[in-house]
Amino acid sequence: MIRIFLFGLILLVSVEIFSANELHAVSVQKHQTEAVSHGGDINIFENPPSPYIVFPFIVLLLMIATGPLLYRHFWEHNYPKVAIFLGSITVIYYSFIRHDFISLTHTLEEYISFIALLTSLFVASGGILIRIDRKATPMINTTLLAFGGVISNLIGTTGASMLLIRPYIRINKERIKPYHIIFFIFIVSNIGGGLTPIGDPPLFLGFLKGIEFFWVIKHVWFIWLLAIAIILVIFYLFDMKNYKKALTTKTSYTGKIEFIGKRNFLFLAIIILSVFIDPAVLSWVPSLHPLPFGIREIIMFTVAFISYKSAKPEALKGNEFNFEPIKEVAFLFVGIFATMIPALQLVAYETHKYGERLTADLFYWGTGILSAILDNAPTYLNFLSAAMGKFGLSIDKFEHVKTFEAQDPIYLMAISVAAVFFGAMTYIGNGPNFMVKSISENSGIKLPSFFGYVAKYSFPILIPIFTLIWFLFFYGRG
Amino acid sequence: MSKIIDALDKKLNGLHYYNRIILPFKCHFLKIMIEEDIITNFSNSSPDLEIIEHENFTDLYFKKYKDLMEELSEYENVKMILCEKDADIFDLKSHVKIILYLEDDHIVRIEKPGENQILID
Repeated sequence: MIRIFLFGLILLVSVEIFSANELHAVSVQKHQTEAVSHGGDINIFENPPSPYIVFPFIVLLLMIATGPLLYRHFWEHNYPKVAIFLGSITVIYYSFIRHDFISLTHTLEEYISFIALLTSLFVASGGILIRIDRKATPMINTTLLAFGGVISNLIGTTGASMLLIRPYIRINKERIKPYHIIFFIFIVSNIGGGLTPIGDPPLFLGFLKGIEFFWVIKHVWFIWLLAIAIILVIFYLFDMKNYKKALTTKTSYTGKIEFIGKRNFLFLAIIILSVFIDPAVLSWVPSLHPLPFGIREIIMFTVAFISYKSAKPEALKGNEFNFEPIKEVAFLFVGIFATMIPALQLVAYETHKYGERLTADLFYWGTGILSAILDNAPTYLNFLSAAMGKFGLSIDKFEHVKTFEAQDPIYLMAISVAAVFFGAMTYIGNGPNFMVKSISENSGIKLPSFFGYVAKYSFPILIPIFTLIWFLFFYGRG
Repeated sequence: MSKIIDALDKKLNGLHYYNRIILPFKCHFLKIMIEEDIITNFSNSSPDLEIIEHENFTDLYFKKYKDLMEELSEYENVKMILCEKDADIFDLKSHVKIILYLEDDHIVRIEKPGENQILID
């Protein structure tokens, strides 16, 4: 496994080093060719990549969606090879056929930033064990879910899910039902994280592309609040009905809430603050160029290492901590980031041609439906690329992203909300969904099948809420 | 007859070889959780598990796994809800919860769940 991962990274780093030399050559030639734009990279609106090179991206997304459901054991053993192989096809195409090293370099930098944040949040929260010795009344459960929704914006949906799912199951162990877990997935693992780039991977990818950190919270807080409030009310009603049926318990409670591994809260705070240690955000932060990472990523990986090494074994054991979820993300996103490069460029190219037909409604439902059945992070970037392409802007250019976020908030709002919220529609919509499912089933809670989840919970509960949001905020706009 | 309670009291270990676990007691199986699989079919035609009882121990073959040690990481485990052979299986209080940790040298450490570990009956 490690060898495959290293091979992938070495391939990308080699391209990075090679591209440093190539950059010089490109800069010399930039006045000689019209295909090279102001920033030194290939102008995708004049010279788009071949449509056939999107094939590895489609195959990878389909395999990510179907693997855990239809051929789980094959997928568990082979996903690293699949992701690296498909990613390599795109890397080779861009290196030796298209000679576009800039796209690969940007992608490598974004991948390292992305994985640094997710890894550090996952490891640091995995070292905290929460014990709650209180009776799981509907109000306590609703409060816990609301709290999870809020903190997922600070430690990510993965971190918040990791931190809270076990205490949540533990306090409900006498009357736990599948709906407890499903609502946890809705709120803590998905919709809760819709306010900040730390909250959910799609928004962090947007931040890496140049969207201002507080843009999302400023523009979508009222949509977030409405969605969370409605879901919490529905959950409360469900839970009250179940609670009344299960009133026979005579267990006594101390009311204590205990934290094991409190030091890791400090590590989490360092990780959150380090998100801003970026030359693009704070001008005094030195760039480590041509290295494909910065001081921020060094801090994050260092904190992850220290927090794991100094974590209390009792907390790790209690959380049954293992690196499998983050290993899976690391491998799959090597493939996703690499294979996504031509997809993003082609989407921008095509939407530039047909831009006027694309409305906010289409971006909302298109991003949403695809986020539900594919991973929401690449879906977000593809639709962001499409929305920017509508105005002749490229997602690969920082200044274009700044222009876009300032002039057309409705499209970015629709894409951001839909990518995060619709991730709750299925087990495969967002990374933490499967982690929560796995932890719950390993604790003995039988959850509905893929289609049972969609038919019994997503369609009757989420779709009406998402339709209301569309009607109130996006219908007929843009 | 070897009992679960004796194995726990005497801290007896089991053994593991690839997809086989040997438990140092005999019992009724009610529920087994391994990764995200919840196994409740313990009949001869179970697609998940084959159980062979011997005089003083029980063999379990996890059919969907090739090598359990490879599949389960350091903090992962196999959880079981069992009942003694001579106990009343219909009385929930006689259900016994245990956790198996697969260790080096084919050792299976058998423990009662700690206060942080969750096993839903």
